[in-house]
Amino acid sequence: MRWLALIWKSLLRSRRRTLLIVGSLVLSVFTVAVLQSLLTTLDSITNNPNSGSRLAVRHKSGITQMLPRSYETFLRQQPEVETVCSLQWFGGYYQDPRNFFANFASDETTIFQTFREEFGLANITEAQVKEYLRDGAGCIVGESLALKNGWKVGDVVPLTGTIFPINPRLTIRLIFKSSRPSDENVLHFHYKVLEEGVPRMKGLTGAFWVRVHRPEDIPRLIERVDRHFANSAYETLTETESAFNLAFVKMLGNISAIIQGITIAVVLAILIVTANTMGTAIRERGAEIAVFRAMGFSASRVLSLLLAEGVLLVGLGAALGLLLAQAAAGGVRSAMGAVMPFFADFEIASATALLCLAGALAVGLLSTFIPAYAATRRPITEGLRSVG
Amino acid sequence: MNANRFDLGGGEPIITLRGIAKSYWREALEIPVLQGIDLEIPVGSFVALMGPSGSGKTTLLNLVAGIDRPTGGTLEVCGHELNDLDDDELAAWRNTHVGFIFQNYNLVPVLTAFENVELPLLLTSLGRRARRERVAEVLALVNLTDKQWNYPRQLSGGQEQRVAIARAIVTDPDILVADEPTGALDAKNAEEVLGLMGRLNADMGKTIVMVTHDPKAAHHARHQIHLEKGVLDRAVEVNR
Repeated sequence: MRWLALIWKSLLRSRRRTLLIVGSLVLSVFTVAVLQSLLTTLDSITNNPNSGSRLAVRHKSGITQMLPRSYETFLRQQPEVETVCSLQWFGGYYQDPRNFFANFASDETTIFQTFREEFGLANITEAQVKEYLRDGAGCIVGESLALKNGWKVGDVVPLTGTIFPINPRLTIRLIFKSSRPSDENVLHFHYKVLEEGVPRMKGLTGAFWVRVHRPEDIPRLIERVDRHFANSAYETLTETESAFNLAFVKMLGNISAIIQGITIAVVLAILIVTANTMGTAIRERGAEIAVFRAMGFSASRVLSLLLAEGVLLVGLGAALGLLLAQAAAGGVRSAMGAVMPFFADFEIASATALLCLAGALAVGLLSTFIPAYAATRRPITEGLRSVG
Repeated sequence: MNANRFDLGGGEPIITLRGIAKSYWREALEIPVLQGIDLEIPVGSFVALMGPSGSGKTTLLNLVAGIDRPTGGTLEVCGHELNDLDDDELAAWRNTHVGFIFQNYNLVPVLTAFENVELPLLLTSLGRRARRERVAEVLALVNLTDKQWNYPRQLSGGQEQRVAIARAIVTDPDILVADEPTGALDAKNAEEVLGLMGRLNADMGKTIVMVTHDPKAAHHARHQIHLEKGVLDRAVEVNR
């Protein structure tokens, strides 16, 4: 027999109790891991490393209000500006309303330069871009989206509009590969398809995306653009891409506070449950602990064994909980990644997994230490009297 | 002869108690349990501690076994002044010098008979193979080789106590302390266990100190020491 075998066998003395406590730990760690990963995913929306040199210019009254595309002229004239791209959320679906993904009408002439990191422009040939520009009914799609739907270059994708009363039939001219899965769950088509198909959209756009030469020019540019269009019929609100995305996240409410609140509640609950279970389990073994010590096991050695049991128990629960969370993350990616592109990046990051493991181990140590310490400090003779 | 001083025959003393006292406190109230015990027990003795409930016999046994500390006097066992040892040193001392036999066997329910016997050896420097050999040896000695993979719940009371005895002797201690070792056994099993203890004393030279209420059990010892209200009352040599 080895020490680990002794610890393991002690842990299994009450299989039902061990199973229940491991089960509750699995659920707790699963919940915390998924919620914290959700938070990380939402954070990543506002912390896109490529967003530092882009601005969004939209109507001051809200994202549903349009701006004249003629504003583009002024924007282009600013010395800080590299490119300007009109972008309008189309909101169409392919074949089935449940088969929903991000699709935009965008300025085909500037979309690649404005979002060059997202499109993986370095891997796209000039001929491919030309092919897309040539075909007014062409579209470009991300690789993940194409794989999911079995699309290849040359296929026709009929989109059914939900916001706009048109159903464009688009031919795939380019499938791009990006560094982030969420950037690949998207389809872009020529802006003129929207303008020509929807008369009320003629000369209007939902937003301009502006790429600047130097990020440090952004504050000055924001101030100048909004001042220029102030008191016009279409006043603008210019903001960084991060701030723009944050506005979407904020529409979900104070998610961060809710998630942190739930996490704290779960951790406290499992701490209390584990402490109660370990306390009961250790108290029931008063005589056994006394016998161990009578045989020559020092108090610190017995304490170590009991702590090891607690740590092994929560470690097991945490590991299973993380495995379950990993499996769930895969499900979330495939089920929601197309609907909400940022969920395509959903994963249990190693930092989150480590945090959960560390938290679980802390719970194990905390919940075991107090009853174990008390039990090992109890006089041996007193412990032996608890026999029977 | 001093009422608290007995001569249990010749031989080098392995247990020497001088002026041993033990009291418990309930708040400010001192409850003396043992008072001025002077006793020498020679190597190889088989001593039965007897007396009515509350006479202090189990307390005396606990002091000799190093699982309790006296409030007065000095205690030398196996050449060690136990008063001088700290808790960890005392634990190591117990592992080397003392084997325990309890009334309720106190086997670990989740370990097999073999593993229960192996437990004290985990604290020694023996390797796995040597441990297994030693455990097999003592299980054969108590005639339980065929039950070595049984769990305590799969053993009879007598078998459990024999496993407990095997666990007590596996480290080859100098002294065996037994607190009512037959208290939970029927007559047949009690006789078997006492016979085994007698052989350990006679054949292996183990010094045995046993607390018992049972005159039949005490008859297996070579000496009976009677305690009365915390003092040694009388010592009787058993004639067989």
